[in-house]
Amino acid sequence: MAVMISGASSPLYAKRRRKNVITMALSYAATGFGLTWLALILGVLFYEGFSGLSLAVFTQMTPPPGSAGGLLNPIMGSLVMTFIAVLIGTPLGILAGTYLAEYGRYDKLSTVVRFINDILLSAPSIVIGLFVYEILVATMGHFSGWAGSVALAVIVVPVVVRTTEDMLTLVPDTLREAAASIGLPRSLMIQKVAYRAARAGMITGVLLAVARISGETAPLLFTALNNQFWSTDMNAPVSSLPVVIFQFALSPYKDWQDLAWTGALIITLAVLALSITARFLGGQSKKS
Amino acid sequence: MSMATFTVPTVTQQPGNNDDLVEKVTVKNLDFYYGDHRALKNINVSLYHGKVTAFIGPSGCGKSTFLRILNRMYDLYPNQRATGTVRLDNDDILAPGQDLNLLRAKVGMVFQKPTPFPMTIYENIAFGIRLYEKLPKSELDDRVRHALSRAALWDEVKDKLGANGLSLSGGQQQRLCIARTVAVRPEVILFDEPCSALDPISTAKIEELIDELKEDYTIAIVTHNMQQAARVSDFTAFMYLGELVEYGETTRMFTTPSDRRTQDYITGRFG
Amino acid sequence: MVDVAYQGGGAITAAEKVDRAKVLQRLRFSDSSFRWLTRVAAITVLIILSGIIISLVHGSWPALSKFGFNFLIEESWNPVTEQFGAIAPIYGTVVTSIIAMLIAVPVGLFIALFLTELCLMWLRRPIGIAIELLAGIPSIIYGIWGLFVFAPFLQQHVQPFLISAFGHVPVLSTLFEGPPYGIGILTAGLILAIMVLPFITSISRDVFEAVPPMLKESAYGLGCTTWEVARYVVLPFTRVGVIGGVMLALGRALGETMAVTFVIGNAHRISGSILAPGTTISATIANEFTEAVGDIYTSSLIALGLILFVITFIVLAFARLMLMRLNARLGS
Repeated sequence: MAVMISGASSPLYAKRRRKNVITMALSYAATGFGLTWLALILGVLFYEGFSGLSLAVFTQMTPPPGSAGGLLNPIMGSLVMTFIAVLIGTPLGILAGTYLAEYGRYDKLSTVVRFINDILLSAPSIVIGLFVYEILVATMGHFSGWAGSVALAVIVVPVVVRTTEDMLTLVPDTLREAAASIGLPRSLMIQKVAYRAARAGMITGVLLAVARISGETAPLLFTALNNQFWSTDMNAPVSSLPVVIFQFALSPYKDWQDLAWTGALIITLAVLALSITARFLGGQSKKS
Repeated sequence: MSMATFTVPTVTQQPGNNDDLVEKVTVKNLDFYYGDHRALKNINVSLYHGKVTAFIGPSGCGKSTFLRILNRMYDLYPNQRATGTVRLDNDDILAPGQDLNLLRAKVGMVFQKPTPFPMTIYENIAFGIRLYEKLPKSELDDRVRHALSRAALWDEVKDKLGANGLSLSGGQQQRLCIARTVAVRPEVILFDEPCSALDPISTAKIEELIDELKEDYTIAIVTHNMQQAARVSDFTAFMYLGELVEYGETTRMFTTPSDRRTQDYITGRFG
Repeated sequence: MVDVAYQGGGAITAAEKVDRAKVLQRLRFSDSSFRWLTRVAAITVLIILSGIIISLVHGSWPALSKFGFNFLIEESWNPVTEQFGAIAPIYGTVVTSIIAMLIAVPVGLFIALFLTELCLMWLRRPIGIAIELLAGIPSIIYGIWGLFVFAPFLQQHVQPFLISAFGHVPVLSTLFEGPPYGIGILTAGLILAIMVLPFITSISRDVFEAVPPMLKESAYGLGCTTWEVARYVVLPFTRVGVIGGVMLALGRALGETMAVTFVIGNAHRISGSILAPGTTISATIANEFTEAVGDIYTSSLIALGLILFVITFIVLAFARLMLMRLNARLGS
């Protein structure tokens, strides 16, 4: 005589089933919720910003309210400051990450630096802006593009440190031993073998750092400030795309608001392109 | 498991002329510590030029640990240290102030898992050469060709020197690593279970290679495969639980070992 | 057979050995310089952090020495009389972050559950990437979207509903009191929730996937439903990691500037209603710093920055400690 599995149709089982169905439905709903916001935000962004996208945006300077113009000087300013920030922050980040992954892998200093680095990674960027203000703007007596670049560099460093360390740690020790076994000094082993093996991942890290600082506004607000006109003087205020968007969006002028949307679209497209490239490179490195 | 189903490995090495031996590496009273744990106890052994010495023993007996002392590979990691003396020619390599890079150029190593550098086949070899010598391209090409020939790889890769080292098969990659080691012109070559990741055909090729190479070098090989040790080596050392139990000519070790433990291991009683 | 007598490839000569030693000797300098350089770079990271702390303390000293402890509890913020108090920004920062976490934590966890258990295999990667895109969108985009799209939407459709729904409920009516401005604390909190949600999802997803399959299978084998496995096996196992992720997200929410600045309303007061405008620390600094006249004003703003830094430091340090403990446990 077969024994019936008790409880198969008991009220307790039904209640468990129901709970499961509800929570599964909630999971679907939550995902739909998240994806909906993504669609809404990106949708509105494209809708509002796309109509303003024209050659003029890239060739003309920011206009006074009420007239037409473009975003040339903030785009240039952002590009220049981003470039300098990467120039300063990347070597520093790679070297520090190398210490953490190679020379100092097991020592106390590395434990502390890793901890501090992770805190800097998520620190409020406006505080970074205040810091750079204190050391560069207050001391020099004026706002400058250099200060803006340094503020961005301070944001770049922890990102590059983290990815460099993570990527170098993935390089197997047997490869290092193979390099040591032909008498290669440690520094050359790192530069010629480890870096080469981790190259794709490290480049990904730099791209992610650039994507991160492309949209940063707060650190630039009181370091590079803003500049209505075309300027190549880094020792003076320099305009940047995020700050101009901030200024134009909060203004009551429709032309400025339209330009703000277009600028926002440009930044978002740049960030998306960088993220996709980074992800693609990262994927490639995993294959090899 | 009955003893009747197990065959003692056949020694195929000629009991060659072992009279005029040149002692290349002399190990005396060697202890090795991982932290406080004493992993190797009082090892005394010699390696001779032109001969292959095999180190056999069950897993965890310390044979790889021992091998890695000979080129001070353990120095790359914290909390590992060795005491005693290890003389290479007349230099104690354990003495402080040793130039480790120079030592490792003299004592090459081939690892268990093939580890070609993330470079082209040509670069893998040229890389080591370039480290020490500035050669014109034609001479460098010759050196690369020579190294690859000595590793019996030249014919297979001569048309694709620009290909990535990782595109080769497992056996070919291991021969590439051997070529890389040979290119730097060491005096001692250490093989750490070089065939354990390879198929039988590649294994046979590499054993043949070791036989050809031994004339010019001092070779030590760690293997968990007793048959391989019997095929390839002139001298065999049996290690167990961190100690060097017995050491002697391969023919004698496999036919009339003196120590009971050696006999038990060789006849398959444990291991 | 190979020509063993080949000159360049044969056994090494004594003279060549000497040359080789010389080469390695020369390399010693660059070898140790490189090592020293990496060490200096690592120390620089510490210097940056110390620099931040020192400069913030230095900059806030005038304000802190003038107002003392009162700075933390005073509500008035008056540039004219130079009386500044931090309680309104602190309140705004904390409340918006709490609102954000109340929404983002359950939603984020459910999305992580969806991605690890329910989602079709081939959809997992695209949806995961889509959710992460939310984290990649710069905060200023959230800001202008919030100002021009979300706030008006809330003002016209959601807030009137909330006001009428809770209007007669005893305690909650004060929470939802006041005219529907659209902008305000609730709006800022909601936008923060969307911004912070991907962090929770991504970390939770990583730790959920690290649960040994055997553990889950033994629960399923007993007849547990998916939810029960999640609740009684996965979540307790990954608890430490999830908390770490939540703390990380909280740290982000506390420090977020641009998205909040656009929609918080910039009113330096505390109100009981979350529909009212308010301010956060970062919004205050962002709005007022460049116009601040006078040492005390500037110094008060820097003092706000110091407070924010201390709060986020504590939260982030706690998060890192949790995650380190998790790694230690998973490693063993």
